[in-house]
This record gives sequence, C-alpha cells and structure tokens, in this order.
Amino acid sequence: MKRAGQVFRKNLNFIIVLICVLLFAFASSVFAADIGNCLLCHKYPGISRVDENGDLKLFYVNEDIFNNSVHAKVNCEGCHTDIKKVPHDPAKKVDCLIECHIMEPSTEKKFSHKDADFFLANSVHSKKEKDGNPKKFAEDMPTCKDCHDNPLYRPLSFFKKVRYGVSEASLGRCRVCHKKDEFIYRFYNHVTTRLHKSRNPLNIAEVCARCHNDPEIVARHNLSTKAVYSYGETFHGKAARFLDERIPDCLDCHVRQGESVHQMMSHEDPLSSTYKDNRSNICTNMDCHPSASPKFATYSVHAEFNKTQSPVQYYFTFFFIVLTGGTLLPLMGIIFLDCIRRLFPHAVIKRRK
Amino acid sequence: MKSMLMKVYILGFAALSIFFMIIIWKVTFAHVIEESHDRQEVLEALQADKEKDEAPVKTTFQKIILDSEQTVKHYLGYKVLEEKRIEGHFHHIGIDIGPDKRSYCVNCHGDMPHDQIKDLRAFLNMHAFFVSCQTCHVKLEGKEKTGEFRWYDRRTGVIIPSPVAFEEPGTYKSKIIPFERVNGQLIRIDSDERISFASEFRQSKDTLSEAQSSKAKKIIHKIVSKQPHLCEDCHNSKDPVLPLDKLGYPKERIDSILSTEVVGLIKNYTQFYMPRMLHPGDKSGQEREQNRKKNLKKNKKPLTITKIN
Amino acid sequence: MEKTPAIKIKNGTRYFYRFTVNQRIQHVILAWSVVTLVLTGMPLKFPDTSWAPYLYSLFGGIHAAPVIHKVFGAILLALFVYHIVYLVYVIYKYQVLPLKQKERLTTGKVLKLIANQPLVPNLKDAKDIRDLMKYLLYMTRKRPDGAKYTWKEKFDYWAPFWGMVIIGLSGLVMWNKELATMIFPGELINFSLIAHSDEALLAALFLFIWHWYNAHFSEAVFPMGTAFITGYLPEALMVEEHYEDYVEIMTKAGLADEILPPHGMHAVASEEGGQA
Repeated sequence: MKRAGQVFRKNLNFIIVLICVLLFAFASSVFAADIGNCLLCHKYPGISRVDENGDLKLFYVNEDIFNNSVHAKVNCEGCHTDIKKVPHDPAKKVDCLIECHIMEPSTEKKFSHKDADFFLANSVHSKKEKDGNPKKFAEDMPTCKDCHDNPLYRPLSFFKKVRYGVSEASLGRCRVCHKKDEFIYRFYNHVTTRLHKSRNPLNIAEVCARCHNDPEIVARHNLSTKAVYSYGETFHGKAARFLDERIPDCLDCHVRQGESVHQMMSHEDPLSSTYKDNRSNICTNMDCHPSASPKFATYSVHAEFNKTQSPVQYYFTFFFIVLTGGTLLPLMGIIFLDCIRRLFPHAVIKRRK
Repeated sequence: MKSMLMKVYILGFAALSIFFMIIIWKVTFAHVIEESHDRQEVLEALQADKEKDEAPVKTTFQKIILDSEQTVKHYLGYKVLEEKRIEGHFHHIGIDIGPDKRSYCVNCHGDMPHDQIKDLRAFLNMHAFFVSCQTCHVKLEGKEKTGEFRWYDRRTGVIIPSPVAFEEPGTYKSKIIPFERVNGQLIRIDSDERISFASEFRQSKDTLSEAQSSKAKKIIHKIVSKQPHLCEDCHNSKDPVLPLDKLGYPKERIDSILSTEVVGLIKNYTQFYMPRMLHPGDKSGQEREQNRKKNLKKNKKPLTITKIN
Repeated sequence: MEKTPAIKIKNGTRYFYRFTVNQRIQHVILAWSVVTLVLTGMPLKFPDTSWAPYLYSLFGGIHAAPVIHKVFGAILLALFVYHIVYLVYVIYKYQVLPLKQKERLTTGKVLKLIANQPLVPNLKDAKDIRDLMKYLLYMTRKRPDGAKYTWKEKFDYWAPFWGMVIIGLSGLVMWNKELATMIFPGELINFSLIAHSDEALLAALFLFIWHWYNAHFSEAVFPMGTAFITGYLPEALMVEEHYEDYVEIMTKAGLADEILPPHGMHAVASEEGGQA
C-alpha cells in the first residue's frame, strides 16, 4: 500500500511537471496580441505574392516566433497603423519611428524609435554629409530593416549556467510576488535578453557583411577592406564562426562603450572609438586585454592579403606561399614519379652510344 | 593476386598525389592569382564608376534568381532558428514547407501563380499552398464528377491520410487533389499520363513548331474550366465543393472555415471591393479580360531591377 | 651480449639498429603533439569548411580546443629545448671530449666536426637527388646509395626543425600578445598569425603526405614502417635506402661476403650476364 502511494505520488509529480510543460508550450499562444484577429488570414504561410518588381511579398506571421520577439506586446495595428478594417487595402510600409501605444515607464512618454533614427542620422551611416548635402550613393546607406528583422528574445539562465533559455527556477521566484504568468514570462525575457548580446556575434557579423562584404559597395564607397572578411581572418572572427558568445564582434569595437550602436562614427572622426588615438581604449577594456600596452592596439584587425591594402603583409604571406608551394609541389611530383617507377621496377630507357 | 592488389594500390596513391597537388595549389598559388584578380575587379568597378555616375547594375539570371535565395540562422542559445531570408522582410517565417514536386502546373506557372486580381492574389496564393490547382480550376461535370478529394504529399506525390488534425492550419506538407471517374474507375486527376505529357512538352518545347506547341498547350489545358470555382463555392455551409469532414477537418475547423467571420469577409469583398468580380459573364468579365491583355503587354518588357544591395 | 646489437636476426631476416630508445621516445612525443596541434589548429585556419565545426567540437569547441592547443604547443616546445640540450650533450660527450683528450681543441676542428654530423646536409645529398631523378625518369636502374641518413630524412629533420622555430616563436607571441606588444608594435601579431598558420600548413602537409609516404605508405614499407617503434630497420629497406651505410655495417660485422647486391640489381646482373 505504501509503495502504491509512493508510485502515485511520483506519478503525480510527473503529471504536475507535464501540466507545467504543456502550459508553457501553450503559454506563447496565450499572449497573442492579435486583437484585430489578423491571424485569421495571416497565420497561413502561403499568404504571399510576387509583386510588379518581381520581389516576393510574404504576409505570413508566425505567431509563436512573434510572441518570442521583443514586439510581442505590440498589436498588429500598433505598427500597421493604416489598417482599420478587415478586409483591408494593400498596407503601407511601416514607419518604425511612430509613437506606439506602449508607455516608456521612466518618462511615461509614448515609446518611439526616433532616437535611434537621430543617432543614425549623425553617424557614419547617415545619408547626408556633415554639411547637409546628400552623400554620393546615399541609397546604399542602411535603414532600419537592412540590419534589423524582428528582434527575438535570447533569454539568459543564471540558474543553469550551461544553457540559455528561461530558467524555471527563477520563474518560481518571480511567481512569489507577480501573479500573471504572461507578465513574468515577458519581463524575464525582456530583462535577460538585454543582459547579454541580443544577437550572437556571428549573426551581427552576417548583418554587417550584407553591405561591408559586398565588393561593389566596398569599391563604390572607397572602403579599405571587405570588413567582415578581414574580421573573419582574425582569431575573433574565427571564434565567432565557431559560435563563441563572448568574442568581440563588429559592434564591440566600432561603438563607444555605453552608447547606442546607431552612433557609429568613421575612424577618421576624433570622437569615434576606432579613431587612432582611441583605439587602445577598446583593446585594454577590463573585459578584454586589461594588461595590454597602447602598442597592442596597433594590431591591424582589417589587414587583408591584398597588395595595395597591406603590402608588407602581402609580401610576407607571399613568401610563405612560395615556400609552401615551392617545397610541396616538387615533393608531390617525386611521390608521383616514385609510384610510377614502382609499377615498372626494372624498366629503363636504353640510350644508344 | 597480392602483387596485383599492390599495383592497384600504387596506382591509387599516384592518383592521390595528383589530388594532393591540386589541394596544395589551391591553398597556395591560387590565392596569389585570386588576389590579383580581385584587385583588378575593384579597379574596373572604380573605373566604371568614374565613367558613369551610377554603375550599371548587373541583371543576370544568376544574380537575381539564384543568388537571392539566402537562408539565415538565428542563434538564440536555447535553439537555432533557420529560415529563408527575404530582403526587407521584418517578421520571421520559421517554417519551410518545401516545393511541390508532384504538380505539373507549377513547373510553368510557379508556386505563386495568382497575380492578376490585386485584392485577392495573396489569398489565392495562400490557398494554393494546400489546395492543388485542379481543385479550383477544373470543374468536373456529369459522370466524371466524383466529389472525391484526398491529400497528397508535396515531396513524394503519394496519397496520404489527412494531416489536418496534427498540424497548424495551412502548414501542411501536403495538398488536396480531386479524383475523377474514368471507365468507372476512380483515378487522381493529376494522372501519371498527364504529368509525363506535360513534362515531355516542357523538354521538347524548343524544337516544336508553333502549331505543334499550341496544340500541346491546348491538350494540357483541356481540362481547365473557363471559370474557376469561386470562394463562395467552398465557403458556404449549404453545399461546399470540398467535403471538409471527409478531408479530415475537425468540426471546429469546419465551423471556422464556414463561419460568419470568413464568409462575411468574402461577402465584404464581393460587396465593397469587387462587386462584380465573383459574378462571371457580366461586364466586369470583359473588363478583366482587357486588363489581363494590358498586363500581358506590360509584362513583355524585360524584367528590370533598379537596385540591388 | 650487447643489449642493442648493430645487427639483429629475427625469423631469418637481418635487422639493423638505427634509433636509440631516447630518440624513439622523442619521436613519439613529437608525433603525438604535432597530430594534436594540427587537429586543434586546422579548423581555425579553415573555419568555413564543412568538416571544421565537427573536428573542432571533438576537441571541446572554441572554449577547450585553444587550451588543448596551447598545452600541446608547450609540450612540443619543451621537447624542442630538450632535443637541443640532448644534441649538444651527446656531441660534446661522445665526440668533442674524446677529441680533446687526443689533441688540442681549435674552433676550426669543432666546426669541422659539426659539419660532419650525419644529419648535416652535404654534397652527397645533391648528388643523390640528381641520381634519384635519373632513376625515377627511367634513365638508370640503379638507385642512389644512401648514407646513414638520406636526403629525405634530412629534409624530414630540418623542415620541422625550422618549422618549430617559426611556429614556436610566433605561437609564443600570440599566446603572450600583451607581453610581446610591450616591446614590439601590434603588427607583430599580424605577422605572427601569418607565419604561424602558413608555416603550420606547410609542416602538416609535409609530414602527413611526404613523411608518411616515405615512412609508411610507400610500396617498400606498406602498410607501416616499424623502425620508429623497434629502432631496427629490415635488411631489404637498408639495401634500398641506405646501401652505403649497409655495406659499411656488414663489412664491420665481418659479413662482407654476405652483402646483397644493390636494390633492383638482381635482374640487371642476370640480364647483363646473359648478354655477355
């Protein structure tokens, strides 16, 4: 009887865990901000067309993924403001700078991305020159969606140090005071996503690569390097390639500590983090190489195997290439000849005297 | 025997040493050549910039069609989300249904064939993800009409049990296909015979004369009815074309499909957006035909893409 | 009886003593650490290849593999230092000291002694390479008569020797980059990275193709040469690769009448005899 009770209790535990798991599996769909019932149609992945320019337009919204994004709390109408009725006319492009219905709690003002735009307009990526005239090839300059898609939550778990994700243990602590699971879940994600890089270093490098590895853009704007390519040749870049989360990516060096990534400056600007006199501050950061001397920062991160860009390194590499090829190719030839010689061990070309 | 094997081994190693030479060439001297080649290209691009203020954008098939298919992996820590990347797309997709390898229609018309009726095209394409072309575009009459529809797997083409109960709406990896009656027997409308006819036509298209070609097209499109089934034909509770319960739809899904919400949406469309669009035969039909011709003319212009980056 | 006789007979085959236990242990440590270093280093050199992530995760990925790489790098460097000390000690004790006892030591005599070390490249090597090419291109039936160490073995010795200096120094710079840039400019790290990775590629390809072919995969030794474990080389290989040395050892051992003809010369001898 006692044993049966134990078994039952064990099963009960299991059932409770199961219910919790199921609740969490469904939790995401509980939070849906779909007041206008837009998903009645937009939950179908096939809702799409090819427009007049031959571009694919996809109107599908994956509800589960959306609810795990930083915009989960914003309704469709919050951004797609022109849509008032169903069925609707072709929707206008979303203006990322509108004030949405969410209140920013510290100022109690309506939330907006206007600051990001202001920073961007004053950064190296601005469409205008410092004197206010439009830049040459201004259309190459990035706008919001060139770098951002809907940012996804990347929660941290401090209780289980080994993996990322929502920590059940800390949710338990939240529940002591906060009653709504939806709030707890979102708040946990909101905070912990911002406690580390919101995107993996490799993902960041891939975003920059869309322009900075494009040979046409690099040539058009007289950039000295295919930046992500040369970053990929450094240990930092290679570690990022192997999904290291703590390795510096583009933003770690090109943005001043504590400032918005939208405030990126040209390396010729004395205010920039990458200005030659400021560079050593990047490397000697407490989290990176605190014991390094200022000379350390004269390491050329973006040196390429390119005769015009870094001639000394080009010829240095060239020496090793010639050494490697010049040594190994003849030796491979000897192996080849040796193999063939062993096929006909006694053959010899007779020379007439 | 042993010495024979040894000879094979030696020959193999000789081949291997050639392979090593290629590898060594690739990791050494090939880089030097590549580097000078790259520099040359940059110089040429700069030259082109100087000559012409805006560099001519290359519009090759490779660049527009093939290279534009990118996937992106989001490393979220607790999972990796891999999906297709569509330039300028904000929302995440997260699923990939895969191409329909069975349908012989999409070979020419594409996966997203509907593009004429501006207000409806996205809806129609949405349905085309899980409803085969023949379901709406072939109206079986008389003896041929069976009222029989089944699901087939997009990749293998074989008939499978209904996926509706197990997957999210519209994300099935399968499509509905009608069955017709031939000589008293039930067969699927996309018979192997029709598929091979269409594929043979596609393969030999370049060698056919104009008369042959149009004859083939006529035969392929013979079963297509003049007017397709319309939204209301299915989205009505009295006499829907598709037997939803037989196709495995649970009751609440049927209720939703036939609900006032969906049916009302369609009514709204017919009343406010295209009052005459769903009533074939009247004036709007002719208008539409004219529009179609206009569009065709427009589309004859080569595809130009103004900006790529 | 001597523990390691110059000629040992096992199953009717003569085996010739070539490597001492000390040398063999050095070689095993060298081989083991080089293989580990290559396996933990190459994924970083070619991170975009399909095999790189799998190979790297086998060594614990980006967090553990660099540590393993440094540990084995340190082992290899220690071995290198030991080898230099061993070399100097052996030469001093067995060659310089006896010379000193016999006659007065001069710098010229010591230099001459060093130049005559069996592993130092000399004119005979150039001649052997020329003769080998003649043999490989079917211009003669006769392989060059190798001395105790052939040009191939000297290559096998000096290539990693030079490699270890280059790779070791550049590796140390990158390991202690903060310290190194106290004195040198940061660009030294750029050059170290280039030298380290390019020289390592050369060394890896050299060892895993050239050295392995000669020591293990060539028809003469296939499937595996065992001299690096036992220290003894079978007679057939002695004849093929080190004929000069072979004749010398056999003569010394008083077996001059049992010396085999040079490699591939049985057929030649009979053929020429027939013609005559």
